[in-house]
Amino acid sequence: MTAHHPTSHTAARVRRLEERLIAAGLTDDAELDGIITRFLAGASPLNGARIVARAWVDDDFRARLLTDANSAIADVGLSMRSGLQEQRLTVVANTETTHNVVVCTLCSCYPIGLLGPSPSWYKSEAYRSRVVRDPRGVLAEFGLHLPEETTIVVHDASAESRYMVLPRRPAGTDGRTEDELAALVSREGLIGTALV
Amino acid sequence: MTMADPATRFAAGDRVRALSVDPSHHTRLPRYVRGQVGEVLDVQGVWPLADDRAQGRPDPRSEPVYTVRFAAHDLWGEGSHWVTVALWQSYLEPVGTQERPEEQ
Amino acid sequence: MLLVVSRVNDVGGQTGFGDFTVEPDEPPFHADWEARVYALNAAMLRRGVYNLDQFRDAIERMPPADYLAAGYYERWLTAIETLTSGHDDG
Repeated sequence: MTAHHPTSHTAARVRRLEERLIAAGLTDDAELDGIITRFLAGASPLNGARIVARAWVDDDFRARLLTDANSAIADVGLSMRSGLQEQRLTVVANTETTHNVVVCTLCSCYPIGLLGPSPSWYKSEAYRSRVVRDPRGVLAEFGLHLPEETTIVVHDASAESRYMVLPRRPAGTDGRTEDELAALVSREGLIGTALV
Repeated sequence: MTMADPATRFAAGDRVRALSVDPSHHTRLPRYVRGQVGEVLDVQGVWPLADDRAQGRPDPRSEPVYTVRFAAHDLWGEGSHWVTVALWQSYLEPVGTQERPEEQ
Repeated sequence: MLLVVSRVNDVGGQTGFGDFTVEPDEPPFHADWEARVYALNAAMLRRGVYNLDQFRDAIERMPPADYLAAGYYERWLTAIETLTSGHDDG
Protein backbone atom coordinates (compact mmCIF):
# COMPACT_ATOMS: atom_id res chain seq x y z
CA MET A 1 0.00 0.00 0.00
CA THR A 2 1.33 3.35 -1.01
CA ALA A 3 1.86 5.70 1.89
CA HIS A 4 -0.35 8.76 2.05
CA HIS A 5 1.24 12.01 1.07
CA PRO A 6 2.62 13.84 4.04
CA THR A 7 0.01 16.24 5.32
CA SER A 8 2.27 19.25 4.78
CA HIS A 9 2.56 18.41 1.10
CA THR A 10 -1.19 18.03 0.77
CA ALA A 11 -1.86 21.19 2.73
CA ALA A 12 0.38 23.10 0.32
CA ARG A 13 -1.52 21.60 -2.60
CA VAL A 14 -4.79 22.78 -1.08
CA ARG A 15 -3.39 26.29 -0.57
CA ARG A 16 -2.33 26.47 -4.22
CA LEU A 17 -5.78 25.33 -5.36
CA GLU A 18 -7.50 27.78 -3.06
CA GLU A 19 -5.35 30.68 -4.24
CA ARG A 20 -6.02 29.78 -7.86
CA LEU A 21 -9.81 29.59 -7.40
CA ILE A 22 -9.92 32.84 -5.43
CA ALA A 23 -7.80 34.56 -8.09
CA ALA A 24 -10.21 33.27 -10.73
CA GLY A 25 -13.06 34.93 -8.86
CA LEU A 26 -14.82 31.65 -8.10
CA THR A 27 -14.85 32.00 -4.30
CA ASP A 28 -13.34 34.02 -1.48
CA ASP A 29 -12.17 33.52 2.08
CA ALA A 30 -15.40 34.74 3.66
CA GLU A 31 -17.47 32.28 1.66
CA LEU A 32 -15.19 29.36 2.53
CA ASP A 33 -15.13 30.25 6.23
CA GLY A 34 -18.91 30.57 6.25
CA ILE A 35 -19.39 27.16 4.64
CA ILE A 36 -17.19 25.49 7.26
CA THR A 37 -18.84 27.31 10.16
CA ARG A 38 -22.36 26.43 9.05
CA PHE A 39 -21.36 22.82 8.41
CA LEU A 40 -19.87 22.39 11.88
CA ALA A 41 -22.73 24.19 13.62
CA GLY A 42 -25.74 22.72 11.84
CA ALA A 43 -25.03 19.09 11.08
CA SER A 44 -25.51 16.85 14.11
CA PRO A 45 -26.91 13.44 15.04
CA LEU A 46 -29.01 15.29 17.62
CA ASN A 47 -31.28 16.23 14.71
CA GLY A 48 -31.89 12.61 13.78
CA ALA A 49 -32.34 11.74 17.45
CA ARG A 50 -35.09 14.36 17.83
CA ILE A 51 -36.93 12.84 14.86
CA VAL A 52 -36.69 9.38 16.40
CA ALA A 53 -37.90 10.55 19.82
CA ARG A 54 -40.93 12.25 18.27
CA ALA A 55 -41.75 9.08 16.32
CA TRP A 56 -41.58 7.08 19.58
CA VAL A 57 -44.18 9.24 21.30
CA ASP A 58 -46.45 10.22 18.39
CA ASP A 59 -47.94 7.46 16.24
CA ASP A 60 -49.36 9.88 13.69
CA PHE A 61 -45.94 11.49 13.22
CA ARG A 62 -44.37 8.04 12.93
CA ALA A 63 -46.79 7.04 10.16
CA ARG A 64 -46.12 10.23 8.21
CA LEU A 65 -42.37 9.90 8.77
CA LEU A 66 -42.37 6.47 7.15
CA THR A 67 -44.43 7.55 4.13
CA ASP A 68 -43.31 11.16 3.55
CA ALA A 69 -40.30 11.92 5.69
CA ASN A 70 -39.49 15.22 4.00
CA SER A 71 -42.74 16.85 5.09
CA ALA A 72 -42.92 15.08 8.47
CA ILE A 73 -39.57 16.38 9.75
CA ALA A 74 -40.81 19.95 9.38
CA ASP A 75 -42.79 19.18 12.59
CA VAL A 76 -39.52 19.23 14.53
CA GLY A 77 -38.14 22.21 12.61
CA LEU A 78 -35.90 20.25 10.24
CA SER A 79 -35.65 19.98 6.49
CA MET A 80 -33.56 18.28 3.81
CA ARG A 81 -32.95 21.58 2.05
CA SER A 82 -29.50 22.30 3.45
CA GLY A 83 -27.76 21.74 0.12
CA LEU A 84 -28.37 23.08 -3.37
CA GLN A 85 -31.64 21.22 -3.76
CA GLU A 86 -33.88 19.36 -1.37
CA GLN A 87 -32.77 15.77 -0.96
CA ARG A 88 -35.27 12.98 -0.56
CA LEU A 89 -35.27 11.36 2.87
CA THR A 90 -36.35 7.77 3.40
CA VAL A 91 -36.80 6.58 6.98
CA VAL A 92 -36.80 2.81 7.49
CA ALA A 93 -38.19 1.39 10.72
CA ASN A 94 -36.71 -1.49 12.67
CA THR A 95 -39.32 -3.94 13.97
CA GLU A 96 -39.35 -7.01 16.15
CA THR A 97 -38.42 -9.07 13.08
CA THR A 98 -36.52 -6.68 10.79
CA HIS A 99 -33.30 -4.72 11.26
CA ASN A 100 -32.17 -2.06 8.76
CA VAL A 101 -28.67 -0.80 8.03
CA VAL A 102 -27.50 1.89 5.60
CA VAL A 103 -24.53 2.11 3.24
CA CYS A 104 -23.42 3.86 0.06
CA THR A 105 -21.36 1.35 -1.93
CA LEU A 106 -20.53 3.78 -4.77
CA CYS A 107 -19.31 6.73 -2.73
CA SER A 108 -20.44 7.95 0.69
CA CYS A 109 -24.02 9.30 0.49
CA TYR A 110 -25.33 10.05 3.96
CA PRO A 111 -27.92 12.42 5.49
CA ILE A 112 -25.27 14.72 6.95
CA GLY A 113 -27.75 17.35 8.13
CA LEU A 114 -29.54 14.80 10.31
CA LEU A 115 -26.61 12.59 11.37
CA GLY A 116 -23.67 15.00 11.40
CA PRO A 117 -20.41 14.53 9.49
CA SER A 118 -20.06 10.91 8.46
CA PRO A 119 -17.50 8.79 10.29
CA SER A 120 -14.44 7.47 8.45
CA TRP A 121 -15.56 3.87 8.83
CA TYR A 122 -18.76 4.65 6.91
CA LYS A 123 -16.64 5.99 4.03
CA SER A 124 -14.14 3.10 4.09
CA GLU A 125 -13.91 0.53 1.31
CA ALA A 126 -14.01 -2.15 4.01
CA TYR A 127 -17.48 -1.17 5.29
CA ARG A 128 -18.89 -0.30 1.85
CA SER A 129 -17.76 -3.57 0.28
CA ARG A 130 -18.68 -5.91 3.10
CA VAL A 131 -21.96 -4.75 4.60
CA VAL A 132 -24.01 -5.59 1.49
CA ARG A 133 -22.55 -9.08 1.44
CA ASP A 134 -22.20 -10.00 5.10
CA PRO A 135 -24.20 -7.54 7.18
CA ARG A 136 -24.48 -9.96 10.09
CA GLY A 137 -20.70 -10.22 10.30
CA VAL A 138 -20.20 -6.47 10.01
CA LEU A 139 -22.82 -5.72 12.67
CA ALA A 140 -21.17 -8.23 14.98
CA GLU A 141 -17.96 -6.20 14.71
CA PHE A 142 -19.93 -3.27 16.09
CA GLY A 143 -20.99 -5.50 18.97
CA LEU A 144 -24.47 -5.94 17.55
CA HIS A 145 -25.35 -9.63 17.56
CA LEU A 146 -28.79 -10.08 16.04
CA PRO A 147 -30.86 -13.25 16.49
CA GLU A 148 -30.66 -15.65 13.55
CA GLU A 149 -34.37 -15.17 12.84
CA THR A 150 -34.05 -11.37 12.47
CA THR A 151 -34.32 -10.32 8.84
CA ILE A 152 -31.62 -7.83 7.88
CA VAL A 153 -32.25 -5.28 5.14
CA VAL A 154 -29.28 -3.31 3.80
CA HIS A 155 -30.13 -0.04 2.04
CA ASP A 156 -27.62 1.08 -0.60
CA ALA A 157 -28.04 4.85 -1.07
CA SER A 158 -27.24 4.65 -4.78
CA ALA A 159 -29.46 7.46 -6.13
CA GLU A 160 -31.10 10.61 -4.78
CA SER A 161 -32.61 9.36 -1.52
CA ARG A 162 -30.79 9.50 1.79
CA TYR A 163 -31.67 6.89 4.39
CA MET A 164 -32.08 7.03 8.15
CA VAL A 165 -33.00 4.13 10.42
CA LEU A 166 -35.80 4.49 12.97
CA PRO A 167 -34.64 2.29 15.87
CA ARG A 168 -37.07 0.49 18.16
CA ARG A 169 -37.89 2.23 21.40
CA PRO A 170 -36.01 0.51 24.22
CA ALA A 171 -38.05 -1.31 26.84
CA GLY A 172 -38.46 0.39 30.19
CA THR A 173 -38.59 3.92 28.83
CA ASP A 174 -42.25 4.62 29.54
CA GLY A 175 -42.88 8.07 30.94
CA ARG A 176 -39.66 9.59 29.66
CA THR A 177 -39.82 12.98 28.00
CA GLU A 178 -39.02 13.47 24.35
CA ASP A 179 -35.69 15.09 25.24
CA GLU A 180 -34.78 12.16 27.50
CA LEU A 181 -35.67 9.72 24.74
CA ALA A 182 -33.63 11.66 22.16
CA ALA A 183 -30.60 11.37 24.45
CA LEU A 184 -30.78 7.58 24.14
CA VAL A 185 -30.32 7.64 20.35
CA SER A 186 -26.82 7.31 18.90
CA ARG A 187 -25.48 8.08 15.46
CA GLU A 188 -24.85 4.36 15.00
CA GLY A 189 -28.48 3.66 15.83
CA LEU A 190 -29.49 6.01 13.00
CA ILE A 191 -27.18 4.20 10.56
CA GLY A 192 -28.22 0.79 11.83
CA THR A 193 -24.93 -0.45 13.26
CA ALA A 194 -26.41 -0.23 16.78
CA LEU A 195 -29.85 -1.05 18.17
CA VAL A 196 -30.51 2.51 19.39
CA MET B 1 -50.00 -5.65 -23.72
CA THR B 2 -50.89 -2.88 -21.36
CA MET B 3 -49.72 0.59 -22.09
CA ALA B 4 -48.78 1.96 -18.75
CA ASP B 5 -47.85 5.58 -18.41
CA PRO B 6 -44.58 5.62 -20.34
CA ALA B 7 -43.12 7.94 -17.76
CA THR B 8 -43.41 5.29 -15.03
CA ARG B 9 -42.93 1.82 -16.42
CA PHE B 10 -42.87 -0.19 -13.20
CA ALA B 11 -45.00 -0.43 -10.08
CA ALA B 12 -44.54 -1.88 -6.61
CA GLY B 13 -44.46 -5.68 -6.79
CA ASP B 14 -43.05 -5.83 -10.33
CA ARG B 15 -40.06 -8.04 -10.93
CA VAL B 16 -37.30 -6.26 -12.81
CA ARG B 17 -33.82 -7.11 -14.03
CA ALA B 18 -30.96 -4.67 -13.75
CA LEU B 19 -29.23 -4.38 -17.10
CA SER B 20 -26.04 -6.30 -17.72
CA VAL B 21 -24.10 -3.35 -19.01
CA ASP B 22 -20.69 -1.87 -18.44
CA PRO B 23 -20.79 1.80 -19.38
CA SER B 24 -17.53 3.69 -19.75
CA HIS B 25 -19.10 6.78 -18.20
CA HIS B 26 -20.25 7.50 -14.64
CA THR B 27 -23.28 5.48 -13.60
CA ARG B 28 -25.18 4.74 -10.39
CA LEU B 29 -25.90 1.13 -11.31
CA PRO B 30 -23.72 -0.87 -8.91
CA ARG B 31 -21.89 -3.80 -10.43
CA TYR B 32 -23.23 -6.28 -7.89
CA VAL B 33 -26.82 -5.98 -9.14
CA ARG B 34 -26.11 -5.94 -12.88
CA GLY B 35 -28.00 -8.81 -14.51
CA GLN B 36 -29.82 -9.58 -11.25
CA VAL B 37 -33.58 -9.81 -10.73
CA GLY B 38 -35.28 -7.92 -7.91
CA GLU B 39 -38.67 -6.63 -6.83
CA VAL B 40 -39.81 -3.03 -7.05
CA LEU B 41 -40.77 -1.74 -3.60
CA ASP B 42 -41.70 1.83 -4.47
CA VAL B 43 -41.08 4.81 -6.71
CA GLN B 44 -38.84 7.53 -5.29
CA GLY B 45 -40.04 10.24 -7.66
CA VAL B 46 -38.49 11.52 -10.88
CA TRP B 47 -34.86 12.65 -10.92
CA PRO B 48 -32.33 13.75 -13.55
CA LEU B 49 -30.30 10.78 -14.75
CA ALA B 50 -26.91 10.79 -13.03
CA ASP B 51 -25.22 9.37 -16.13
CA ASP B 52 -26.31 12.40 -18.17
CA ARG B 53 -25.49 14.94 -15.49
CA ALA B 54 -22.01 13.49 -15.06
CA GLN B 55 -21.36 14.08 -18.74
CA GLY B 56 -22.39 17.70 -18.38
CA ARG B 57 -25.39 17.39 -20.66
CA PRO B 58 -27.39 20.62 -20.50
CA ASP B 59 -30.71 18.76 -20.66
CA PRO B 60 -30.29 15.51 -18.72
CA ARG B 61 -33.10 13.01 -19.09
CA SER B 62 -35.36 12.77 -16.04
CA GLU B 63 -36.62 9.35 -15.07
CA PRO B 64 -38.43 7.63 -12.22
CA VAL B 65 -36.11 6.14 -9.60
CA TYR B 66 -37.22 2.88 -7.99
CA THR B 67 -36.36 1.17 -4.75
CA VAL B 68 -35.56 -2.38 -5.86
CA ARG B 69 -35.09 -5.21 -3.37
CA PHE B 70 -32.66 -8.04 -4.12
CA ALA B 71 -32.25 -11.29 -2.21
CA ALA B 72 -28.74 -11.88 -0.86
CA HIS B 73 -28.85 -15.46 -2.06
CA ASP B 74 -29.34 -14.24 -5.64
CA LEU B 75 -26.51 -11.71 -5.37
CA TRP B 76 -23.92 -13.73 -3.49
CA GLY B 77 -25.09 -17.34 -3.59
CA GLU B 78 -25.56 -17.25 0.16
CA GLY B 79 -27.08 -15.19 2.92
CA SER B 80 -30.66 -14.60 4.04
CA HIS B 81 -30.70 -10.79 4.07
CA TRP B 82 -32.05 -8.32 1.52
CA VAL B 83 -30.35 -5.43 -0.21
CA THR B 84 -32.34 -2.47 -1.54
CA VAL B 85 -30.80 -0.39 -4.29
CA ALA B 86 -32.21 2.83 -5.78
CA LEU B 87 -32.16 2.54 -9.57
CA TRP B 88 -33.12 4.84 -12.43
CA GLN B 89 -35.72 3.44 -14.83
CA SER B 90 -33.34 3.02 -17.77
CA TYR B 91 -31.17 0.71 -15.64
CA LEU B 92 -34.06 -1.79 -15.52
CA GLU B 93 -35.95 -4.13 -17.82
CA PRO B 94 -39.14 -6.08 -17.12
CA VAL B 95 -39.00 -9.73 -16.12
CA GLY B 96 -41.69 -12.32 -16.80
CA THR B 97 -42.35 -11.48 -20.41
CA GLN B 98 -40.53 -12.46 -23.57
CA GLU B 99 -41.42 -9.13 -25.10
CA ARG B 100 -38.78 -6.51 -25.16
CA PRO B 101 -39.85 -2.96 -24.47
CA GLU B 102 -40.55 -1.15 -27.74
CA GLU B 103 -39.19 2.21 -26.81
CA GLN B 104 -35.55 3.22 -26.73
CA MET C 1 -22.74 -13.72 -19.13
CA LEU C 2 -21.12 -10.37 -19.71
CA LEU C 3 -17.84 -9.94 -17.98
CA VAL C 4 -18.88 -7.15 -15.67
CA VAL C 5 -16.16 -4.77 -14.71
CA SER C 6 -16.62 -1.30 -13.37
CA ARG C 7 -14.89 1.67 -11.89
CA VAL C 8 -12.68 1.43 -8.84
CA ASN C 9 -15.22 3.14 -6.55
CA ASP C 10 -17.82 0.42 -7.18
CA VAL C 11 -16.79 -1.84 -4.31
CA GLY C 12 -20.07 -3.42 -3.15
CA GLY C 13 -19.45 -7.10 -2.43
CA GLN C 14 -15.74 -7.03 -3.21
CA THR C 15 -13.53 -8.96 -0.83
CA GLY C 16 -10.06 -8.14 0.42
CA PHE C 17 -10.50 -4.67 1.89
CA GLY C 18 -9.97 -6.03 5.37
CA ASP C 19 -11.19 -4.42 8.55
CA PHE C 20 -12.47 -0.94 9.20
CA THR C 21 -11.55 0.90 12.34
CA VAL C 22 -13.99 2.86 14.42
CA GLU C 23 -12.39 6.02 15.79
CA PRO C 24 -14.05 7.09 19.04
CA ASP C 25 -15.07 10.76 19.16
CA GLU C 26 -13.81 11.25 15.64
CA PRO C 27 -13.58 14.94 14.66
CA PRO C 28 -15.35 16.07 11.46
CA PHE C 29 -12.00 16.96 9.93
CA HIS C 30 -8.57 15.59 10.80
CA ALA C 31 -6.70 18.64 9.52
CA ASP C 32 -7.52 22.22 8.54
CA TRP C 33 -6.85 21.47 4.90
CA GLU C 34 -9.63 18.87 4.90
CA ALA C 35 -12.13 21.54 5.95
CA ARG C 36 -10.84 23.86 3.23
CA VAL C 37 -11.28 21.12 0.62
CA TYR C 38 -14.82 20.52 1.85
CA ALA C 39 -15.59 24.24 1.57
CA LEU C 40 -13.96 24.64 -1.84
CA ASN C 41 -16.10 21.85 -3.23
CA ALA C 42 -19.28 23.31 -1.74
CA ALA C 43 -18.41 26.70 -3.23
CA MET C 44 -17.75 25.26 -6.69
CA LEU C 45 -21.01 23.29 -6.62
CA ARG C 46 -22.91 26.37 -5.49
CA ARG C 47 -21.37 28.43 -8.31
CA GLY C 48 -22.24 25.75 -10.84
CA VAL C 49 -18.61 25.28 -11.90
CA TYR C 50 -19.51 21.59 -11.96
CA ASN C 51 -22.31 19.44 -10.60
CA LEU C 52 -22.23 16.65 -8.02
CA ASP C 53 -22.24 13.88 -10.61
CA GLN C 54 -19.33 15.46 -12.46
CA PHE C 55 -17.53 15.63 -9.10
CA ARG C 56 -18.18 11.94 -8.44
CA ASP C 57 -17.11 11.13 -12.00
CA ALA C 58 -13.81 12.95 -11.51
CA ILE C 59 -13.10 10.92 -8.36
CA GLU C 60 -13.96 7.67 -10.12
CA ARG C 61 -11.64 8.47 -13.03
CA MET C 62 -8.61 8.55 -10.74
CA PRO C 63 -6.20 5.73 -11.60
CA PRO C 64 -7.29 2.84 -9.35
CA ALA C 65 -3.99 2.65 -7.50
CA ASP C 66 -4.11 6.38 -6.76
CA TYR C 67 -7.76 6.19 -5.67
CA LEU C 68 -7.08 3.38 -3.22
CA ALA C 69 -3.96 5.04 -1.83
CA ALA C 70 -5.62 8.41 -1.33
CA GLY C 71 -7.48 9.49 1.79
CA TYR C 72 -11.09 10.62 1.52
CA TYR C 73 -10.46 14.33 1.19
CA GLU C 74 -7.37 13.76 -0.98
CA ARG C 75 -9.77 12.25 -3.53
CA TRP C 76 -11.92 15.35 -3.27
CA LEU C 77 -8.84 17.53 -3.73
CA THR C 78 -7.82 15.64 -6.86
CA ALA C 79 -11.34 15.93 -8.30
CA ILE C 80 -11.57 19.69 -7.67
CA GLU C 81 -8.14 20.18 -9.28
CA THR C 82 -9.24 18.16 -12.31
CA LEU C 83 -12.57 19.93 -12.71
CA THR C 84 -11.24 23.47 -12.30
CA SER C 85 -8.05 23.18 -14.34
CA GLY C 86 -9.61 25.25 -17.13
CA HIS C 87 -10.74 28.01 -14.79
CA ASP C 88 -7.49 29.88 -14.24
CA ASP C 89 -7.73 33.60 -14.39
CA GLY C 90 -5.88 35.44 -17.15
